[in-house]
Amino acid sequence: MQQTRVNVVAVVDVIAALSDGTLEGGNMCLTDDSRYGSTGRGTTDLCTACLPGQLLTWTVLPVDVQTPVEIRSIRFLGHDGAALPEPPGEVPGEGEELGLAVWSGVVPASLAGRPPLLYRLELQMYEGVNSVLSVQSPAVRCAAGVR
Amino acid sequence: MSQQLAIIVMIDTENALEAGTLRGNTYLVDNMRRLGSRGECSGDLVSAVVGGHWSNGGQAQEQILNWLVGSLGSVPLTLPRNYHSHRVHRHDSRSLQSLGRLADAGGANAEDGDPLTEVRRIHREFGARIGTARGRHRHAHCDRLMDLTGRIVPEESSRRGDPVHSHPAPVLVDLCGEAVEKKVIHPAQYGSPDQDTDGWYWSAAVDTSRPGTYSYTMVVELQQLVRGPAGRTWRPRRMSHKARLNVTSTPMRNGFTGAGIGYLPVPSP
Repeated sequence: MQQTRVNVVAVVDVIAALSDGTLEGGNMCLTDDSRYGSTGRGTTDLCTACLPGQLLTWTVLPVDVQTPVEIRSIRFLGHDGAALPEPPGEVPGEGEELGLAVWSGVVPASLAGRPPLLYRLELQMYEGVNSVLSVQSPAVRCAAGVR
Repeated sequence: MSQQLAIIVMIDTENALEAGTLRGNTYLVDNMRRLGSRGECSGDLVSAVVGGHWSNGGQAQEQILNWLVGSLGSVPLTLPRNYHSHRVHRHDSRSLQSLGRLADAGGANAEDGDPLTEVRRIHREFGARIGTARGRHRHAHCDRLMDLTGRIVPEESSRRGDPVHSHPAPVLVDLCGEAVEKKVIHPAQYGSPDQDTDGWYWSAAVDTSRPGTYSYTMVVELQQLVRGPAGRTWRPRRMSHKARLNVTSTPMRNGFTGAGIGYLPVPSP
């Protein structure tokens, strides 16, 4: 039976990430439950394999449940490696509860057969000038056909 | 929200015992300031509890509150709760070593040459024993006074008056009031192997489907050092303090679209 949903989970060591000022170096690992041959599980270079029509959902978990972390944005990168412009009105406001956002979307058919598409995953860890960190190494790869 | 919510209850134990009330002697802090908590670091905290619901009205996420009680008149909360016991054991060990050395030397190593004076000095340093009103110690390590630097208070300085000492940690013994009676929060005490919290802590699940501001009452037990015919004892005193929760419920939304589910916003080929 075809898998209709694929879940991507980011596990973050918030204290280490804030201390180092980066999500790299083992401070975050990404994994998913795709059955279609994802690569880079357990790293920030996760490439999630999916099919058109599947629902992809991203969630974030802190290693220490007493520490705060939420997804601030997910932006797919264009062919030049730059993130797509943010649609108007989509920038989270000050004090907005980011935990009320569900980061899921349907894989469009136009993605099928294309090279892996990188995205920028931006996380917010409480507030302040150094509270937002991001990675641009994870990707989504969509197979050409539906099995 | 993936993060657990915490409310720190910091009590000025010395002044609370003297005034007989927690009012004006309690400082509350939570980790929901970013979400709209009001009155941080005061006795009148209104904690923001932000819930979410789906378009069909169902509760989308649970919220868990944790209460952690600390004392301004005690050794820091960051020290393990068995710190007092550890210090008493170490102190006793040193006293026994001093007695052992005195015995081994046949009294010849006494400071002023008199072994009896030396024994008395060691006895004074042993520290004043403190009993409890109930005749037994809930915390066995509190049977000797310890100062805020971790030293056991000698018997002699204890006799001169009430010395500056570390109070036994206040204990949250109950959560009640409007929020509990209306079943907005469901508090319970949980056991934990964590030595830093003495193995017990209070948590509550919040029903965020009923927005509003609700008060709740914390009942805290403090220990007061009192003089009696049988010497000094720790007498438990229970005091209560009110705080509030501001429960809100906001519709869940899709992070990509700001509304319902759509296609992933990928660039065109």
